[in-house]
Parts: sequence; structure tokens; C-alpha cells
Amino acid sequence: MTYSLVLARRAIREGIRTPEAIVPTLFIPLFFLVVNVGQAARIFPGSSTEFLHGQGYGAFQLPSSLLLAASFGSAALFLVEEIEGGYFDKLRATPVPRSSIVLGRLIAEGTKALLIASLIVLLGLVFGITIASGVLGFALLVLLTALWAVVYSGFMQIIALKTRSAAATNSAGLVFFPLLFLTPNFVPRNLLTRPMEIAATINPVTYVMEALRSLILVDLRWETILLGFLVVAVAGAIMLIVSVRVVSSYD
Amino acid sequence: MANEAAVEADGLVKTYRSRSATVEAVRGVDLRVESGEVFGFLGPNGAGKSTTVRMLTTLLSITDGSARVAGVDVAGKPDAVRRRIGVALQEAGLDPRQTGRELLVLQGRLFSLSESEARARAVELLELVELTEAADRPIKGYSGGMKRRLDLASALVHEPEVLFLDEPTTGLDPASRVTVWDEVRRINERGTTVFLTTQYLEEVDQLCDRLAIIDDGRIVREGTPERLKAELRQRLDVAAEVTLDDVFLDATGRTRTHVAGEVQEVTR
Repeated sequence: MTYSLVLARRAIREGIRTPEAIVPTLFIPLFFLVVNVGQAARIFPGSSTEFLHGQGYGAFQLPSSLLLAASFGSAALFLVEEIEGGYFDKLRATPVPRSSIVLGRLIAEGTKALLIASLIVLLGLVFGITIASGVLGFALLVLLTALWAVVYSGFMQIIALKTRSAAATNSAGLVFFPLLFLTPNFVPRNLLTRPMEIAATINPVTYVMEALRSLILVDLRWETILLGFLVVAVAGAIMLIVSVRVVSSYD
Repeated sequence: MANEAAVEADGLVKTYRSRSATVEAVRGVDLRVESGEVFGFLGPNGAGKSTTVRMLTTLLSITDGSARVAGVDVAGKPDAVRRRIGVALQEAGLDPRQTGRELLVLQGRLFSLSESEARARAVELLELVELTEAADRPIKGYSGGMKRRLDLASALVHEPEVLFLDEPTTGLDPASRVTVWDEVRRINERGTTVFLTTQYLEEVDQLCDRLAIIDDGRIVREGTPERLKAELRQRLDVAAEVTLDDVFLDATGRTRTHVAGEVQEVTR
């Protein structure tokens, strides 16, 4: 674990020195939050929309913005840069466990996501959103977002390792993007059309979104929350196993 | 009992397979580099130099054959090999957003030094490669020569038994090249075996105790510079001085076309 932390510290330093890679992670999710709320808030007034539990539509949309922020990790692109520049080989030539080479950047990505998620939620609070599950709910909200960011970045890193190209990594990243929208993004799952409901039910991101949403709109509903964490844990385990295998067999 | 070789390769093969073709980059390389030597590994572009080095340094899987570095089996115990070797590859692999000092401290930490040990080692190495003044500047601002020296320093953090240098002076100006040569000599005097790939024959003449020439994935000559030159002189039956250039060209089947005293091209 020491090696992972040493590499994470370096990746955090790298992130701090590249603020231009962080700004869109904050700006674009907030932009979509404002736009989506602006478009749909009058259709779903808080006072008469049951699924809003007395809050405004912004509270319903906040999880989508958090997941969007979580999908803007820069770890994969930094990794491609490192592969192209030769530093990745330098790291591979050290005796650190291959898992640490993968985990170092992901820990940094998780730390960054914790900060960004906290900032987005705090901004939401300023604009009248309340976290129905309280302080513990706030902590779980940012933690679940950060863990999902780690998983998402991990899969992007796998693409980076396989393709070794920034352009290919960017393009391949777009393949994952629809997963964010095949979810109960604008309305709860039971209000979706049947085909969309089926797609959302199959899509694991739905359960992360629903867990986040339940923390904001209702109190600690453990069944929903644990399902969200379970999805992240399973996806994370798959991501780690594949990542280590890809790094170990990297030629 | 005979001394254990620093590098020993037996029938080393690397084959790349794709849907459309199979390329044999290295076709059965046998090598033995003794401890304490500076060993030159020469060859034309695409001959298999870097592929061989990457296999010996655990960065590339071995298709066939075997290799031992510092007495350890490369394929069987890659981590043990990594602890014993230093690697400076063809393109100075550095993180441009870090400072020179940060890079060396990180490298030390990755080789199990404590934070304070790594910091102290970084200071020593920065002095060794004359980068103390630039130590706290971002690497992206370093010149090519400074990057090479830093890369060299990072390969020495853990005092390796065997140092692999893959074309360490390619692209450097003559002054920087001489500085790197001095460093290599100094490192070797401290007991480190140096495995050096290069395209510069002068570099081999200046630094190497022995050399091997690889062409088309096979070793075509091996010996001391003097022995190889003497062999060629004897074989060609010429009285004139034979250079390593001549040995290289003879070994790789290439010829030089001289036009008005200038070397115009090297062709097969």
C-alpha cells in the first residue's frame, strides 16, 4: 500500500499543477445541473411532485451532475502521456507491485473526486438543496461518488493501456458515456417508458444514481444505499483484476 | 567456480504476432557480460538492440530462450531482477511536471528507501550529475542533456549491480555526450556493470571493454574492440588501420559510398 500512496501523492501533485484538467470537471456538471433544472423545474414543481419529496427539481438532478463529474477523470489521459513519454516504462522497471502502478493514480482520482463532489453538493446546499439523510448522508454521498469516479477512471485506464493513444482513449471513453444517460436521469424508473425502464434496470449506473438520490431526497434507506455500494464494489473488483492483468502482461 | 555473469542470455527470441504478419525481432541471441564490464551492444536501426534490452530489463516478455541478469532469472523472478538493475531507456523517461528532486525522491521511495533516505540520495545524485542548481525546477524546462543526466541519476538511485543504458547519448550535443561518458566511467569505476546500446562507434571505442554487434535479430560479432579490429585486418589482409566503423560495416554487410570525401549513405 505504501507504494500506491507514494504514487498517489505524485499524481495529486500532477493534478494540482494542471488546473486546466480540473476546471471542466467542476464546470460542466454544474452547467448541466443549471440547464436541466431550468428546462424541467416547471414541469416538476416541488410542491406537487411526489418523487421530489418536497424538494426542488435540482435535488433530483444533483446525482446526475455528481456522476457526470465522476466521469471526467483525467487519470487515463495522464497515463497515455506517460506511456508516450516513456515514464510508464520507468515505473514498470521498478520492483513495485503492478497493482500499485494502477492504484496510485486511482487513489489520486478518488481524492480529487471527493473534493469535487463535496464542492458540488455544497454549492447545491447554497442554492436550497437539502440532504435529507443529514451529515452521514453527505459523507456517504461524496464517498459513493468518489468510489464511482475511481471505478470509471480505472476502466478508462484499461482502455489507455490497451490502446496507448490519447485519441483512442478519448473516443473509447464515449462508449461508456451513454451508460450515464440510460438511467432514471430525469424521472424515477417507474415513470420511464418500458424500453427505457428495461435499459435502466440492466444498467448498473442506475443503482448508483438511485443510491445517491435516496441520500438526498429521503432519509437513510439502507437497502438502496447498499445496493449502490455493492454495484461499485463489484465493478471495482472487476476493474482492478483486469487492470492488474493488463499491466502485468503489458509488452 | 566461475564468476557469475552480470548478464547471460541463451537463445533469446522475441516474436511479434499480428493478424497480418509475424515478425521475429530477435532470433536467438546468446550473450555473456561479465561483472564490472562496460559492454557495448551495437547494431543498425531495427536490428533488435532495444528489443533485447527490453527483454533483459523485464519490460518485454521473452518468446523463447532464457536470460539471467545479476544471477536472477528474468522471466521467473522479474521483481528480483528489477531490484538489481538500473534502466535508462532510449527516450529519457521522465515526468515533465515534477522537479528533478521530486523525481529522484519518488524513484528512491519506489526502491524501498525511506523518505529521508530518498531525499539524501537525491542530493547525492543531483551533485553527481551536476543538476543541483536545477533540482527544484520542473523537468519540462530542462535541456536534452539535463534530461539525460537526470534519467541516468534516476537509474542509479538504488545503486544497481547492472546498469542498462539504451542509446544514452542519442540527440545530445558533443559536450553533453562527453559529460554522459564521464558519468558512465565514474559509475563503472564504482563497480557497476554497464550494458550500453549505441549507434555511435566512437562511444564504444571510448567506453566499452567488449562489444557485440546485432543485425537482423542475431549476434554477428562479439569480442573486444581490439580483437575485432585485428580479426578484420587479418581476414582482409590489409596493413592499414582498421576502425570499428569498418568492423561494423563488415559485420552488418553494409557499404559506404564516398563522394568527395563525404560519407553519403550506408546501404546493404
